[in-house]
Order: sequence, then structure tokens, then C-alpha cells
Amino acid sequence: MATYIARRLIQGIFVILAASMFCFIIFQYMGDPVLNMVGQYASFQEIEEVRQNLGLDKPLYVQYGRFLWNAVHGNFGKSYVTRVPALGLILERFPATFELVSLAVLMAFITGVVMGVVVALKPYAWRNRLIMAGSLAGISIPTFLIGILLIMVFAVFLEILPAFGRGDTLQIGFWRTGLLTVSGLRHLILPAVTLAMYQLAVLLRLTRAGMREVMTEEYIKTAWAKGLPPRKVIFKHALRNVLIPVVTITGLQFGELIAFSIVTETIFQWPGMGNLLLTSIYEGDQPVIVTYIMLAALIIITANIIVDILYAMINPKIRYD
Amino acid sequence: MIKTRIRSKMFYSYLHDPSAIAGSVILTVFVLSALMAPWITPQNPYNLEEVSLEYFLTPPIWMEGGQMPYMLGTDDQGRCIFSTIIYGCRTSLVVGFSVVLIAGTFGIIIGLLAGYYGGKLDTITMRLADTFYSFSTTLLAFLFLGIFGKGSVSIVIMAICIAGWVKYGRTMRGSVLEVKQEAYIMAAKATGASDIRLLLKHLMPNAIPPIFVIVAVDLAVVIMLEATLSFLGVGVPLTEPSLGMMVAIGKNYIYAGMWWMIVFPGAALIFLVVGINLFADWLREELNPKIERKG
Amino acid sequence: MLAVTFIAIILGAAGPATAASTLIVAQDYPPRMMNPHGDDSDAGLSYMANFFDGLLQRKGSDGALVPALAVKWDHPDLLTWRFYLRKDVKFHNGNDFNAADVKFTFERLIDPEVSEFTNTGKQIDLVEVIDDYTVAIKTKQPIPWFANNMHQVFIMDKESTESRDPGDVMVKPIGTGAYKFVEWVKGSYIKMEANEAYWEGAPPIKKVEIRPITESSTRFAALVSGQVDIVTGVPVELFDKVLKNPKLQVVSRPARRSIFLGLGNKPGTPTADIRVRKAMYMAINEDEIIEKIMRGHASPAAQVPDPPTIGYNPDIKRLAYNPDMAKKLLKEAGHEKGFDITLTGPNDRYVQDAKIAEAVARYLAKVGIRVKLDVKPKSVFFPEVTKGILDFYLIGWFDGTFDMGRTYFKLVHTRDEEKGFGVFNGAAFSVPEIDKLLQSTADIVKPEERQKTLQKLNKMAMVDHIAWIPLHYQEDLYSIQKDKGIKFQPRPDRWMVYKEISK
Repeated sequence: MATYIARRLIQGIFVILAASMFCFIIFQYMGDPVLNMVGQYASFQEIEEVRQNLGLDKPLYVQYGRFLWNAVHGNFGKSYVTRVPALGLILERFPATFELVSLAVLMAFITGVVMGVVVALKPYAWRNRLIMAGSLAGISIPTFLIGILLIMVFAVFLEILPAFGRGDTLQIGFWRTGLLTVSGLRHLILPAVTLAMYQLAVLLRLTRAGMREVMTEEYIKTAWAKGLPPRKVIFKHALRNVLIPVVTITGLQFGELIAFSIVTETIFQWPGMGNLLLTSIYEGDQPVIVTYIMLAALIIITANIIVDILYAMINPKIRYD
Repeated sequence: MIKTRIRSKMFYSYLHDPSAIAGSVILTVFVLSALMAPWITPQNPYNLEEVSLEYFLTPPIWMEGGQMPYMLGTDDQGRCIFSTIIYGCRTSLVVGFSVVLIAGTFGIIIGLLAGYYGGKLDTITMRLADTFYSFSTTLLAFLFLGIFGKGSVSIVIMAICIAGWVKYGRTMRGSVLEVKQEAYIMAAKATGASDIRLLLKHLMPNAIPPIFVIVAVDLAVVIMLEATLSFLGVGVPLTEPSLGMMVAIGKNYIYAGMWWMIVFPGAALIFLVVGINLFADWLREELNPKIERKG
Repeated sequence: MLAVTFIAIILGAAGPATAASTLIVAQDYPPRMMNPHGDDSDAGLSYMANFFDGLLQRKGSDGALVPALAVKWDHPDLLTWRFYLRKDVKFHNGNDFNAADVKFTFERLIDPEVSEFTNTGKQIDLVEVIDDYTVAIKTKQPIPWFANNMHQVFIMDKESTESRDPGDVMVKPIGTGAYKFVEWVKGSYIKMEANEAYWEGAPPIKKVEIRPITESSTRFAALVSGQVDIVTGVPVELFDKVLKNPKLQVVSRPARRSIFLGLGNKPGTPTADIRVRKAMYMAINEDEIIEKIMRGHASPAAQVPDPPTIGYNPDIKRLAYNPDMAKKLLKEAGHEKGFDITLTGPNDRYVQDAKIAEAVARYLAKVGIRVKLDVKPKSVFFPEVTKGILDFYLIGWFDGTFDMGRTYFKLVHTRDEEKGFGVFNGAAFSVPEIDKLLQSTADIVKPEERQKTLQKLNKMAMVDHIAWIPLHYQEDLYSIQKDKGIKFQPRPDRWMVYKEISK
């Protein structure tokens, strides 16, 4: 098992390296960042001097080599726009994104699974038809549209929830949190619901489908026959098996989650990492873009490895050699 | 022979499932409208000569200030909302079908080869697939377009295909692995059938059914993805708005009370995707043998 | 039950409570950094003007140049500028302000790691400290407008800037300005409080909180919901809504920035023929653009500099909108069937920039010129302009020195990498006649003489050669809450200098 994890980690490092190399190559086509770093009245010479100063005139492999050397020492370069270390800039925004994503995942998971179970057990009641219709809408409405519709209803029309920003936040050590103020919590509602909606619908349908399949399995029928109380049958046996693919898929959807959080942060002006990525792309802030991609890759790969390990622990039939 | 019976059973179930019929009707309406766009719309909103600033920001005709032929109102450049929706749906459908076709074909081929030959080819392609998949189609497409993007439909299609092939590849491979063991395949092999013949005539047709569900679901997903990318500004060009971009344009006006620029394109997008999903749901139920069904 | 109560509290809670005397402002651009030399755009300098002072400052609605940290200045010879400094001024950290700080500041300008004012820095030959309160700056060449720039160079404290970590300098400003820095939460807000010991007298508003909101409709929402007192950059499409709202007041002033289209005249291209340029000019219905796209918040421009600038020529008039004449000219020039051209422009820099470009493309399409629209973020667009590879582009300009000379060297002079001319001449427009006249102005120092020659140059460029197709001057739109008694006079450079605002 340990060798498996080690191998996955090494593969992961390769992926991160490949991603960063890819970025560097692409940046050659991205337009000249130097111009945004000199004043409006800089002459051609001054522009060239800045270019040399930053080492942007050196061949690609030299730049990349220097970047890697620095990265290993924890230096991911300075943002072209704000001239502060790129890594720090991104990590500063990590709490905002983390709080948003965690709340959304929590909401989606709990609500989705619970409703999925409820609907699976009584498929033909009217209430359940409504929920299923709702879940269909949930996977058919793109995240950005959900966000905008929620803003239109709750912020513009009804005026009861704020449409942008994080509200008041408190700084605890290095973590800036919005969870400890009423204002912070209010600002969290719409973005979290927006982000959660799609996942919720997917989990709901997945749980329902899984439950319906599992209920026909032999060991469940045996459990019924044995006269076990329904609660035990459902939770102890059926749900446990359904949760395996559900959890796996949630873990594997990390990439999608990160992507959708970018959209959500943009719509609600949420000061998180996704928002930073978007503005960095518009501004051509290459150090921040590369650092973000590497960080995102790290998170995704770690999530995948954790899911694999969990899966192996739950399902003894899987063997990793 | 077995296949004909299954087909007629499916057809029967199709005719009796309201959501399946609803789904396919909606989809057909959209496809037909997109095809007949030049004839059913009063204006070609992508043609700069036909659009005039004179009629900008008019509301739908049932509100004060609305005027024919702009039934659903106009946007801030004077484009007729109805026309732009129809042309926008065209873009959505073109992107959707193209990606499914290109990524699908590519993925199916990879899946066939990986599943059949196994070994190094299998490991490498699946590792690659894993990596691409974990980054998610959305993120990869967004990064690709954000950094390269020159705003054209073909580049958007390319961007989505980068990771779009993975689900086809994996599903096909899994399906091939199962079918590979079947008796008739072994028999064909034993009688000395060539690899290509085996792949094309025997493996593929039998391994392909799960792909149908993937196609239907993927179509919906790709259409939503194109809308999201256009909304973020990295998709279609500004002068040829698709549904997503229409929402992006309209969102600046919601506070001014000009809701028609978002609500109509948004509704169109939702209907289109719901239609596809209804059909996909029915298809999935049909092809899944494990569910207990009523009647 | 608990859940319901919880939800009720959250929904019922009012917005964040801040002290009544705090002025809350939603500005349309966030600060990039707190280093006053690191960003030479007006958006950045606007923030810095509150924490720092320059040797001089600009005040009043005409932006007149008046003393700040220098009480007097003179120009003993063509290369020397002498500044007599104000006494008894302290930085926010208690350090005294004197000539050493001025020398340190100007010498810092040439370091590209910390400064975007390298251009200004390089012009300086040496900074001489005559005594604790007198400084003489010698430039390498005569620069007639040198003092005009002194309101943008903010003086930093030598001791603390040298002893602090460079990262700290980027996020915490220490200046002599009217406001002291309190807190900066990136992406959320900047808090500042009045400097009671300010040399000009403590500012009337004691606490200011700036919330940078880049999304225009969000900014508008913040204003309407009463969360902010002032909003800069009111989006034109929402302007009517603001007007109708009884709680809000609109404040506007004509901007100094003019928006225009750049063209090339390379032999062999359609635009090399002046008739074609004239035709394109006449094909565009600028009045409709102003009415429909700018919603009336722009004034038609016939040239690049604005009225207060030296070089502005009131005799230059716009060519009237005349698509038929345009078609005729095109036919004469041999382009009856039209031609193809790409219009490049930014989509995140000027008011309605992408929409204006779209409209221009449409007008040209109607006279047979097929325009391919290529709008992109400014970070990609401006490098293309400096490479000079464009055919036809949308751009805006405003020169803080109130003198057309510097602008013209950058925009219309034939590109010359060595001498640094024509950096923003995006389509490599070149007329040797114009270059010669422009170069001759470099030696003229007296404003009246400069005015005469620059006006002549301006007319030559606009009327005889149609170097650009001018469109309009933007309007700066702000909105404030009516009942708070805020007295606010917008500045011509769009800076938000809070010591000038009272409640």
C-alpha cells in the first residue's frame, strides 16, 4: 500500500511539473507582460531594461529552470501587477474560497444524499416527483445562471440578501473568516447555494439511483426477510454501499468544483482564489497564473489519492500492488 | 434478432413515457429552429449591417415602448432578442454536436484500442485520461481559452475536446473489457479473424450501448459549458453572441429593470438542456437492467 | 425551530454598522499596491494622493498647479528646477520631512523594481541638496513640462523606506498626507483615518472606507441599497435610474480623456489614401454613439487634447456624418467594393469601449468596409499597440501635464525605438512633416510660444493628414447619497482626494 501511495505521489509531482511547463510555453503567446509594469511614458529602452531586469529576455529553458529552482525554495515569483510574492497573494485568499466551497459541499452532500434516500424509498408520491423535477432543473441550469437568478430574486427584487462581497470578516491569526459575523454569514448564503446547487442535484440523482439498485440486491431482501427494522436495513446496509460510489464521485469532482467556484466568485465578487485567477488572466499576471495552476493541480491530485485510499479501505476487494 | 426485439421494446417504452417524448420534442423544436434560423427570424443579429442602434434597449412588445418586429425586445446594440436566441441556439447546438462527434470518435477509438490491446497502451492512455479528467473539462477549457482564446467557435470546440474525450474513452474501454470475454468474441478470434475486423465488426457494436447514454448527457453538459465559457467572456466573439454571452450582456441591465435581456435567453438555455436531459434520463433507465420497474 | 430562528435573525439583520462619521466610497478600480511610485495610472495615484504629498499639487476644477511640500519653485536655467521646501512637516511615523527625503524619492524613480516612473527618473541628471529645505533638480535635457509632473511624484520617508522590508513597503504606506493608513484587506476595503497634524490643516472627514468594486452593476447596487455614500464611475446605462432615484444625486464633469481611432498610412494599404481615412471618418455617426451608447454622457471631439491643454486648437471642427459622401470618396479612391480591415480595441479600459468598437464596425459595414472586430483585455491590447502592428484601433488618452507635446511624441511621431518616439503609435502612422515640427517644439519653453506651434501642429495632424478619427470626450460620472450633506467637487484627473470632500 505504501508503495502505491508513493508511486501516486511521484506521478502527481510529474503532473504538476508538466502543468507548469505547459504554462510557460503558453505564456510565450500571451502577450507582453512587461508593458504593464512600466509607466505609460516609458521609452523602448526602458521597456527593454525592465525586460532584462526580470529575466524575460532569456531563452525559455533558462526562465523555466530559474523558476523551478526558486519554486523549490518556496519562491514562486512576484506578481507582475502588485509586486508581492505570488504564493502569498493566493494563499491570502485561500480562506475565502475554502469557506465558500466547504459550506457548499456540506450543503450539497447532506441535502442531496438525504433527499436521494427519501425519494428512492417512495418513488411515486407527488412530493417526490416535485423533488425529482427540481433535481432535473438543478443539473440543467448552469451555475452562472443560478447565481444571476438568485441575485435577481433575492437581492434586486426582494432586497433581503446581499449580492456581493464577504461582508465583515474577522482575522484570527492568519485566517480571515466570515463565519463569525452575522454580516459574513449573510453574504455567504447566496454564493454557497449557487455553488451547491449542481452538486446537490447530481448527488440526489446518484443516491436515488444507487438506492434503487441496491434495494433489489439479494442481501437487502434477506435483511427484510430476517425482519430487521427498516431503519437498520436502510442505514446500516443499503446506504453504506451506496455511499461508496457517491463519496468517490464527490472526491473526483474536485476539478469541477474548483472550476465552478471561479464562476461563482466572479458573479458574487467573492474575494477568493478563483476571482484572483480571473483577474490575473485578464491582466496577464503570469506568476500568479502558474502558481494557481500548480496549486490547483496539487489539491486535485491530493483529493484523488485520498479518495483512492478511502475506497481501498472501504472496499476490501480492491488491491493495489 | 435479439436486437430487434430489444429495439421494439424500447420503442414501446418510449411511446409510453411522457418525459421521453417531451424531451425529444423539445430537442427537435430547437434543432429545427436552429436549422431554419434565417427563415424564421426577422433579423440576422450576426450581420452588422442589419443591426441598428436606433432600436436598442426596446422592451418586449407587450410592454410600453416595445415595437414590432422585435417581439421579445432588443439588447443594447439593437439586436432582436428573439433572433439572437435562435442564432445563439444554433451556436450551442453546433458546439454540442461537434464536441460529441469529435471527442466521442476520438474517445471511442482510444477506448477500443486500450481495452482490446491492454498493456502499456492501456496504462498510458488511462493515466492520461485520469489526469485530464481530474482537472475537469471546465477548468481545462477555461484555462486554454483564457490564455489562447481568440474568440471563435472552432477554438471553443477544440478547448472542450481537450478533456471531453475522456468519458468516452473510459466507458468504451470498460465496455470492451467486459465484452472481450464473451464467447462469440473468443470464437471469432479462434477462427482467425483479423484484429481490425474483430474490433469493428464484433467488439464495437456490442460494446457501444453505454455510449449512447453518455452522448445524450454529454450533449447537455457541453452546451452548458459553452454557455458558461461565453458568459465568462472567453467563448464566442462579442459580435456573435451565444446564449451564455447574452446573459453576460444582459446582467449589467438587471438593476435598470431591463429583465428581458436575461430572462428570455436564460429560459431558452434551460429548456434546451432540460429537454436533452429528459431524453437522456429515459435512455439511461432503458439501458439499465438492474432497476425494478412498475408495469 | 432553532433553524427558523437562526434564519430569521440572519435575514432580518441590517447591513454592517459603521460609525456615522465614516465616509464609505465605492471606487471602480482597486489599488494595486501601496507603493506610491509603483503604479503611474490615475487609478493608483488616486489612492496614493491621500497618504502622500508631492512637491506640488493640483487643485480646483481646472487643476491649477499649486505648492504642496514645496512652498516655492523656480527655474533658474534650462536644466535646473529649484524647490524650496515646507518646514515643520512630519511623516505619519513621526519622522521629519526634509531635503534628504526628496533626494531619496527622486533617486528611487529609476529602479524598475519599485517604480513605473522610470521615464521621469531617467530625465534627471542629479538631485542636489542645497540645504535641509532647498533642493535643485538638474535634468539631462531641457524639459519644459518637468514641474507640471510634480504632483504625481509622491515623497517618501527615506529612513523608514530603507529600513523596512520591501514587501512591507508595498502594503503599508507611510507619507505626509492628509490621511493615515489603517487597514487594507485586498479585494474588500481600504480604511484610512484623518491625520490631525496635517500641514494644511486636518481634513474635515475623519474616517474614510473605500470599497473597490469593479463590477459596475454591483457598484450601483451598493449605492442604491445605501451601503455606500459615494460611487465613482456610474455606468452609463444605469444613469437614468440614478437620476430618477430621489435619494441619490448625480455629479458629473467632462473628462479630460478623449477617445479616438488610430489609423495607419503604410503605402499599399487602403488607409494610406487620405480620402479613405476621410471616408471612414464621415461614415461614423458619432452623435448616435454619444446618444445611444454613451447615453448622452460624452461630448463630441474634433481632436485629441482637451480645451485646457496647451495645443488645443478651437478652430478644428469635426467632419459631419455623411455616409453618402463617404461612399463617394471610397469610390474615388478605387474602393467601390469596399475592403477588409481589423478593428482592435480593449474591452476593459474605457467607458463602453467594446460597444463603441462594435458600433463603429457597424457604421463602416454600411458603407461597404468589412470590419473584423478584435476586442481584448487591455493587458493584451496595449502591448500590441506598442508593437505598432495594428491596422485600425480604438484608444483613449489624457495627459496629466496639460501640454500636448509629450502626448504627440508618444502617439503620432514616427516610431523610433532608439529615441523612444511613437511608443503608442499603434499603426505606425508616419508623416515626416509632422515629425519635424514636433521635434522643433522640444526647445520651446515659453507656454505662449508652445501654444502657437502646438496648435499649428495639431491642425496639421488632424485636418491635413487625419492622423486619427476623433470620437468624443468621456464624462466622469459620480453619484452620492443626497441627505448626507456631502460636498464633493470632482477633479479633472478623476482622483478621489478625500481632504477635498466635506460632509
